[in-house]
Amino acid sequence: MLSDHKLALFLAQKSITKGNKGTLGLTIFIMSLVFVNSVFVSSLFLGLTNTINDQIINTVYGTVVIEPKKDEKFIDDVYSLKQKISRVPGVKGVSAQYIMGSVMSYKDKSGAWSVYSINPDDEITVTTTHNFIIDGEYLSKLDENDILLGKEIAGGYGGDDESRSLGGVKTGDSIDVLFNNGIKRTYRVKGIFGVNFQRSDNIAYISQKEMTSVTGMEDKASQILIRTEDVGNEGQFIKQFLELGINEKIKPWQDYASMVKEITQSFDIISMLISGIGLFVAGVTIFIIIYMNTISKRRQIGISRAVGIKESVIINSYFIQALFIVMSGIIMGLLIVFYIVAPWFIAHPLDFPMGSVSLLILPESVFINATSLIIAALAAGLIPSMMAVRETIIESMWGD
Amino acid sequence: MAKEYLDPDETGKQALLKILNLCRTYIMGEMRVPALQNVSFDIGRKYPEFVAIMGKSGSGKSTLLHQLGFLDTPTSGEIIIGGKNVLKMSETQKARFRLERFGYVFQEYALLPELTALENIYLPAMALGRKKDEYFKAAREVLGQVGLGERLDHRPREMSGGEQQRVAIARALINKPDILFADEPAANLDSISSKQVLELFRKLNREMGLTVLMVTHEPEDRNYVDRVIWLKDGELDKMEEK
Repeated sequence: MLSDHKLALFLAQKSITKGNKGTLGLTIFIMSLVFVNSVFVSSLFLGLTNTINDQIINTVYGTVVIEPKKDEKFIDDVYSLKQKISRVPGVKGVSAQYIMGSVMSYKDKSGAWSVYSINPDDEITVTTTHNFIIDGEYLSKLDENDILLGKEIAGGYGGDDESRSLGGVKTGDSIDVLFNNGIKRTYRVKGIFGVNFQRSDNIAYISQKEMTSVTGMEDKASQILIRTEDVGNEGQFIKQFLELGINEKIKPWQDYASMVKEITQSFDIISMLISGIGLFVAGVTIFIIIYMNTISKRRQIGISRAVGIKESVIINSYFIQALFIVMSGIIMGLLIVFYIVAPWFIAHPLDFPMGSVSLLILPESVFINATSLIIAALAAGLIPSMMAVRETIIESMWGD
Repeated sequence: MAKEYLDPDETGKQALLKILNLCRTYIMGEMRVPALQNVSFDIGRKYPEFVAIMGKSGSGKSTLLHQLGFLDTPTSGEIIIGGKNVLKMSETQKARFRLERFGYVFQEYALLPELTALENIYLPAMALGRKKDEYFKAAREVLGQVGLGERLDHRPREMSGGEQQRVAIARALINKPDILFADEPAANLDSISSKQVLELFRKLNREMGLTVLMVTHEPEDRNYVDRVIWLKDGELDKMEEK
């Protein structure tokens, strides 16, 4: 048996090293492109999903959200609740937000947007919006007549829906805000931010102090955002918060990501389809190459069998050749992915409505793509060689 | 080498190779084309023979050789070697038998183009599972026998027809076969190379005790052989003892 494997390896090695180098190189290159394509597609979709998740966590909800109890509009005793939560190990930041609907007007433009009140000192421990100021400054705790606008509200900063914006508000301009409770204020725009996530860029922020003067209510919040040190173990934190006696509704960020779930599911299907088609093409390519190879070597197969080489040895030699081609293709593909494609996308991320998207290359995704390609290639490589040895020796050597 | 003809059975001498009522019919669409019909004869009853199979084109010479060498399967009949009907063997057993006891030389040399001359020669020995030093030693021996000592690292396309045929003969001899099957081995060679190949077969038969069965259509080749089996329209026509 060992000698059979050695002989198959010997024949495969000779076929690879002494055969047509151009054909071999082209075949390996095609394999590498198929591999790059499948890794690229799955990594791009993973990158898209990851960007949406990051945006939801970093600019809207944090990792855990506390909402008012059932049938209540607000969370009470916000200060003491925040204190409790902050003491839980692993909690990085806590920010209470009071949200109120409003109609904003600037010159002849107006529209309805939500105004969030925040304590900027707390908010920066949970979200990263303060890092995306594109004009002016972020809010400070003592600001009273200032407002921070998302770029979708301000307009003129390359938002996704300029027609719904205020048409080009700049830092220092004054806008009128009519709150849902009927109170109207004029605010100076202190800054404009753009996180490149439509959901977040449609928010306006004012300070808690200012909101208190609008609502006349203190120590109340519409929601409390919590940022934990790690993402993924929200369940454990929620359990701890419940043990602290918090009776409000506690939800992980994923509960707010229904849009993401649908997108992720769609991306998974698209990714599987594209990868599946890619694999099918790879399989057919290897099949054609090995088939042409066996057709052109039909006589050699006949000669080998005539001198007494077993059919299994001949099939194994083609199996080894297919394995060599696909493994070389994968190695070349990995080099292309990690030394050309990935660095390029890191330097030039793609702009999507949900933010800048780069590739997210997960080892398990690479492994699955590589394994699928190997299976497809080996199956495609085996079939023609098995077909070739099914002929009689005479047919192989002298047949048409 | 276990030569069965050296062990007489109770009826007298036992042939190395005996065929009985061998038939081969090709089916082409709805047509049945009989290529061999009830051919029977013995080879090597008295001593290692050098036998030529001759006849006109289409007489069934090559078909007969292919049946005897297990390259094709007869429609009916028996091929008996060492008292056993070898056609009853499985394909794997046949492949092993072919590897251990038969050698082949074809008209078009039938060398693997990706292997060097030396690699082509020791390939059957490798297939038999022999160790590297053993098959190198065996290759050196057969190279001496066929008179080929140079250009061993060259690939077939870099060699002349005569050289390629000698490589093919060396390959056929490496596993010390009992019978060498040669299908028009000199047909593609010039007269000098052709003569060298036939003299080599004669030498191998006489000096090494190798039984040689050769298909040929050249009348002058009869001068080298012990016996000629004449075929006509797929049937045994006559035997010509030399």
